[in-house]
Amino acid sequence: MIALELLLAVLLQEGEPASVSGFPGVAAGVQPRVEIPWNRLVDDVEIYARLDRLAEAFPGFVAMEVIGASVEGREMRVYTLTDPASGPASEKPAMWVDGNIHGNEVQGAEAVVYLAWYLLENQATNERASALLERAAFYLLPMVNPDGRAHWFHDAHDANSSRTGVQPIDSDRDGRFDEDPPNDLDGDGHIVQMRKNLPGEGTFRLDPDDPRILDRVPPNDKGIRGDWIFLGDEGLDDDGDGRINEDGVGGYDMNRSWPSSWRPEHVQFGAGPYPLYWPETRCIARFLLAHPNVAAVQSFHNAGGMILRGPGTESYGEYPRADVGVYDALGSDGEKMLPFYRYMVIWRDLYTVYGGFVNWTYEGLGIVSFTNELWSSQQDSPDNRLQGSDEDQHWLDDRLLLGAGFIDWHPFEHPLYGTIEIGGFRKDVGRVPPSFLVEEMLHRNALFCVRHAEAMPEIEIEAPILTDLGGGVTAVDVLFRNKALIPSRTALAAQKKMGTPDFLTLQGSGIEVLSGGIRTDRFRPELVTLAEREPEKLLLEDGLGSRAELRVRWYVRGTGEAKIGFTGEKARGVTRAIDLR
Amino acid sequence: MLVPLLFAALPAAQDPAPQTASAAPILSHAELTSALNGLASSHPEHAQVLAIGSSRAGRLILGLEIGAPTRARPAILLVANLEGPRVFESSVALAHAQKLAEGYATDERVRGLLDRATLYVVPRANPDGAEAFFSSPKQERAATGAGVDDDRDGRQGEDAPSDVNGDGAIAGMRVLDPEGTWILDPHDPRAMVEADPSKGERGAYGLWPEGRDLDRDERVAEDAVENAMVNRNFPAGFEEHAGPSGVFPGDEPETRALMDFVLLHEEIVLVLSYDGIDGLVEPPGAVSGDPPEGVLEDDAKLYAELGKRYREATGNGAKNVSNQAGSFQRWCYEQRGILALSAVLWEIPKEAAKPKEEAKEGEAPAAPPSDVPPAEAPSGEAPIAAAEAEPKKPEREPSDDAKRLDWIDSLPGEAWRFLEWKAFDHPELGAVEIGGFAPYARVLPPEDARAAIEEKHFEFLLGLGPALPRLEVADLELEPLGNGVDGGNRLVRVKAVVENAGLLPSLTHAGERARMRPGNVKLVLPAAGTLVAGRALVRLERLRGAGGRQELEWLVQGPSGMEVGIEIDSERLGLVRTTAEVSR
Repeated sequence: MIALELLLAVLLQEGEPASVSGFPGVAAGVQPRVEIPWNRLVDDVEIYARLDRLAEAFPGFVAMEVIGASVEGREMRVYTLTDPASGPASEKPAMWVDGNIHGNEVQGAEAVVYLAWYLLENQATNERASALLERAAFYLLPMVNPDGRAHWFHDAHDANSSRTGVQPIDSDRDGRFDEDPPNDLDGDGHIVQMRKNLPGEGTFRLDPDDPRILDRVPPNDKGIRGDWIFLGDEGLDDDGDGRINEDGVGGYDMNRSWPSSWRPEHVQFGAGPYPLYWPETRCIARFLLAHPNVAAVQSFHNAGGMILRGPGTESYGEYPRADVGVYDALGSDGEKMLPFYRYMVIWRDLYTVYGGFVNWTYEGLGIVSFTNELWSSQQDSPDNRLQGSDEDQHWLDDRLLLGAGFIDWHPFEHPLYGTIEIGGFRKDVGRVPPSFLVEEMLHRNALFCVRHAEAMPEIEIEAPILTDLGGGVTAVDVLFRNKALIPSRTALAAQKKMGTPDFLTLQGSGIEVLSGGIRTDRFRPELVTLAEREPEKLLLEDGLGSRAELRVRWYVRGTGEAKIGFTGEKARGVTRAIDLR
Repeated sequence: MLVPLLFAALPAAQDPAPQTASAAPILSHAELTSALNGLASSHPEHAQVLAIGSSRAGRLILGLEIGAPTRARPAILLVANLEGPRVFESSVALAHAQKLAEGYATDERVRGLLDRATLYVVPRANPDGAEAFFSSPKQERAATGAGVDDDRDGRQGEDAPSDVNGDGAIAGMRVLDPEGTWILDPHDPRAMVEADPSKGERGAYGLWPEGRDLDRDERVAEDAVENAMVNRNFPAGFEEHAGPSGVFPGDEPETRALMDFVLLHEEIVLVLSYDGIDGLVEPPGAVSGDPPEGVLEDDAKLYAELGKRYREATGNGAKNVSNQAGSFQRWCYEQRGILALSAVLWEIPKEAAKPKEEAKEGEAPAAPPSDVPPAEAPSGEAPIAAAEAEPKKPEREPSDDAKRLDWIDSLPGEAWRFLEWKAFDHPELGAVEIGGFAPYARVLPPEDARAAIEEKHFEFLLGLGPALPRLEVADLELEPLGNGVDGGNRLVRVKAVVENAGLLPSLTHAGERARMRPGNVKLVLPAAGTLVAGRALVRLERLRGAGGRQELEWLVQGPSGMEVGIEIDSERLGLVRTTAEVSR
């Protein structure tokens, strides 16, 4: 109890608290340089402000660049995270992490910030954290849809609205744009539901145990009818067309806008007139195309507790087996790290998605990519006597939040429906966790990113073995090894010939590389697939697979210093010097 | 050993025919820009320059808006030269624009078109590709966009085609090569055909673009600087991970600029394109599938009818690929529901031209000679197959290239189109021959045919006016019910019929599928009138052509003599207002 109070005191205090011994998850004895209240979700301005504070507190480790602007002109910021002492980010394998492409799926942005915070706060004292920032980089874009986020926080919304961006779309095709959105009739900042009492004429009745709940009257022949009708989301018929709330702000889905397996609007709602139509998506695509060192992708959404991978559509077929093996290894780790989350294939286990982001980053760019759906409502009711029914939701809200999540039904004079009642769960209930569970969600998801990032390819070259073949010719046998789970080129990247192949090189001013190639048998050095040309620069379309070892034999004449090297887009280049005598 | 002798005996290549003034001259980017500006400034009422966008190299893509002083809706978009080598097509589009802008005052038929539709003309959608026509060396530049590492050696664009022999043109090279897959066409050894091993044919030649082997990989000119083609970079049928398609749909600035233009102009109901894609000589058939790609059944009938009109107007039989993956034409139709009429203005014929006096109108073309040696057999040498020990007739039909050579041979002025194979000592390959079809030989019509092609296509364009969808209020009936109520107000049943008087539907089947906005019908009442039953704003249905109707009905209340109005308001098709008076 005392510890908790102490902790709260720390969290609430501005500036540098005098003496604190840290808390679990941050190394004991370490005072965080930046205090962030992780039980809160914050708007777009504060998300950037938190990252800016980190950049200031860890000079050199964080670089911010503005890569574009949203429809409403908000900055699209990428924060690059790496240890500058070990070289620039562009030379290291990098992980892209983003969140909040759907404006209402807000907690992804906090997860991105948490990832940066956790690695930075720990890099001085934790070997794994410092090693990761030394060998790898992170490109962090906390909000793909900052407009949607800003409106979700500051305007009247429900848990599901403000998913779209804000470019006007004539959703009801009547020639007017965004003219009939939901209306916050009572001005309380939330869009909830409308119901009307019509004794004996309705289709619903009040739950006898909890009048906040409407029960549908089942079909029956006993003449029993309900006393209530349900009128949907809070709103008016703003445009007088006889329909309510049918043309709100925007009306599209930026996570259907990416160029792989993209389909037009009539097949995939929200796709837009062409891929990457919206400026937010386009600047991200440009960034990723300009950063071929991105070797891992994570995108944060809400909700449902899922670790999703492609394909998004059945018609794509399955991904190459070698890559599925990598996905499965990471996905099953994720399931264990993230209780109540399931590792799923988008089309098979969820629904069909054309033009999804992680589909493009893998199918188009060849990068192992996940989408996590943050927060499963099972998490605040792990007791199996609670099954997520309306009653159960109220039960939890009443006990764990003192009823704060529900706006009680209250009367309203509606211009069309007359006397009605307005009520329902607030926008921050259902798709985001209650505050006391936010930090756990952020931590587990951020650490899943760390797991993924640590799996990015890392190549090492073993000490070569030199064999004198006589006549001045030396055989140089070299073992190249990918220590990591993720291949230096995914099987799909190799199959579709994406990007630039890897190279294995041998160079030295005093030597001539006569021939060389990949050995096909570890015990029989004479079995070599000889390169047709340029043996000093062996081309590796397939790259180095998951924890793969590759043996190369070069036939060399001459003496002196020489250098063996590996270069690739997604693994850091390495060299090893040898001395040919 | 016969083969090299044969080549040594080939006649010398002739110089490409110089471009002389003609009805539709081919203009450089600068010339075209000033022509478009000049046209707009001399016809300010009818023509206005549009900036469509910029090419990858930064050239402005310009268009013209041409119309009546008060611009009509709908609109037709004429796009040419999306494919770099189709430079003649841009001249035709420009000539059309000139005739339209100049003809409004004097030509009834021009007025007939422009009073019904505004024309957007983009004569050169791919200025970078077109500019290669004026470059030295001369070459066809089909790809202008993002490059890929074609030969997967980790370098991009390091082994591009070039003018190795310095003759001012980038043509082809053939080289004797035991691994080659090509042989000489026995009908005409200037033409190359692929050996058919199933017939015992063994390849003898490698065939390459003219160029060096700069990366020394024993492949020649195999890694060009550019790969992406503008007209494969659109999202319909886009082929991912294929060099000519580009990095992603709309990555090429020309592609995206054109899409943005179309999105901005919902009034475009018809696209006419002059390029290498045909959809009029062989109109596309209905295609199904899930999701369906291609033309929906109702729309296939429209394409068939317009194709028929096209063939009647132009007599054109030039075909080429249709349904090109990633093309503008497919995007317009499949994803925007805009009928896209694609014409290939000219292709090099595959038969000898008939002497002029023999050519009679309506006469069916003679079958091409199948086994006679070419008109000018080189130096009396027999083709290679005939030179074998056992003389026999070639088993093959003449190749298309051999037939094209027949045509070239039959017209003395066209000799520039084929660069005779000439021996050359290649820095990497040694003895090669450089020659083949000259740049633009296959796509540039003869000078004396150009004016007629333009005129016939202009005829077809003028004929599109009456075919456009045209909404009218066919009937507006006000029927007072009963004998009036207090204050002299009457209850009136308003019945209106909206009719499409054009040939084309108000919205194609594909347009309906693409959820294009169909437009609305509004009931307009004066202050004294009240709407009693019905909605003031009714969404239009898809109205088929030639009299498709939609009936609407309201009950209104108001005084005798009240004016009741009907307003058809469609972004695509325009604004129509009609009024009637409640009888006194």
